[in-house]
Amino acid sequence: MILRHSFQRQLNLLDYALGSLTRKKTKNFGMVIVFSLVIFLFSSLLLLSRGLSELATEVLQHAPDITVQQLSAGRQVALRADAAAQLENIFGIRSVTSRIWGYYFDEGNGANYTVVGLDVTPSELPGISAEARAGHWPKNGEMQGVVLSAGVRRTMGLGDRRSFSLFRPDLELVSFTTKGVFDNRTAPVTADMMLVSLAAARNLFGMEEDQITDLLVSVGNPRETETIAGKIAERLPGVRVLTRNQILKTYNVVFGWRSGFGSICLLASLTAFAILAYDKASGLSKEDVREVAILKVLGWQTADVMAVRFWESALVSLTAFFLGYSLAWVHLLWGQGALFQPLLLGWSVLRPELHLVPPILAEDILLIVAITVLPYLCATVVPAWRSSVVRADTVV
Amino acid sequence: MNLLSSRLQLFCLAAAAVMLLVLTLQWSTMERRSAVLESYGAAAEIAGMLGLSDLALSTEARYTRHPAASDRVVPFMDHPCAIEHFPSGSFFRPVQP
Repeated sequence: MILRHSFQRQLNLLDYALGSLTRKKTKNFGMVIVFSLVIFLFSSLLLLSRGLSELATEVLQHAPDITVQQLSAGRQVALRADAAAQLENIFGIRSVTSRIWGYYFDEGNGANYTVVGLDVTPSELPGISAEARAGHWPKNGEMQGVVLSAGVRRTMGLGDRRSFSLFRPDLELVSFTTKGVFDNRTAPVTADMMLVSLAAARNLFGMEEDQITDLLVSVGNPRETETIAGKIAERLPGVRVLTRNQILKTYNVVFGWRSGFGSICLLASLTAFAILAYDKASGLSKEDVREVAILKVLGWQTADVMAVRFWESALVSLTAFFLGYSLAWVHLLWGQGALFQPLLLGWSVLRPELHLVPPILAEDILLIVAITVLPYLCATVVPAWRSSVVRADTVV
Repeated sequence: MNLLSSRLQLFCLAAAAVMLLVLTLQWSTMERRSAVLESYGAAAEIAGMLGLSDLALSTEARYTRHPAASDRVVPFMDHPCAIEHFPSGSFFRPVQP
């Protein structure tokens, strides 16, 4: 009976709070809109970061165990092809693959392509499904065959044409023929890529016969990766040794929601909102004071007035939360994160489509509530207390 | 005794509608997610095959195209007085050495 009475009492207070919110609908509607925008901004960035981090983790867990690059004066330079032979007798290394890769700037449209030269032997690589690609790979030593992304073909304006030419550093033209197009599902890593044979890449970049860009090292036992990386660094002076763990750690940091633009944008908007919420809630109008005084005369206690104010704040903040959080999902699912894409892609000419669907995590929802809803409730406690301790005889 | 006033009944109805919308949104999300995760698998296979170390998201600068294969001085080494100026640089945090 007591429980039912208490429940009914809270329902009545909620009913009164709803009526109170409706009476000041312009002010409260404005508050909900601004609050929703803040939550939308924060949630969008959090979900986008979560989606990008998941993409990086899922895709790059297949990155090479160890990548070896040569540095000179802080810049990456070509590595001698015989470096591979120096590594082969390190115990624990399964295979060493030479690769040439670099950027090709297309002056016609301002796009940057990533050209990868690799002698691919798909039959030797288990677990590669035929669905991941279309056409066939450039054969070893093939000078004209190229596999490229649909985005690159579109940017180059190839239409139905299969052949095109690129400039070598000495301005001599090199012809290529499309042998295949990367599957659209591989766009997160191939959006700007042209895959050619090692010899064709060397020819395009005008590199010497004994030069390569990097070595891809496959390790038999993943637990020995760090030890083997150390041995490689000792054996090849001046090289940068990059392990898969370092790559994954880098991406976890890169897309962390605390980093870069996100932090500045969110801190500024959250601070602005906290000031606005405090200012709005603390500005006691004559009507507010009069209302509380009348309630006191009618027998309301301070705790009742506080409860009404709490319900008002909870209704405003929860409505804004649902609105902002739902809009953030709509923005990411149907809008492909359109608000943040210009920043993420910058001045890139090639713009890969982003299809991110991050997991729904309780920790994300709690984080959003903790950073947005709770501060609002806290910011309205003091003004609620000030309004509830009004003495009836001083007003009425 | 009626527990709910007409205003509260309206509020409960609106809350139920919002919850329904949220659940529909989440259901739609889960449905899309399986297709997206499948496409990640295809991208992962290519990454493993070609030894790719980075995502092809931003192609405007080499340190945002290949953040994992760059270090923290790269954004400033285009010429002796270079400052970091690409828009995507504000999204990609400098890489720890």
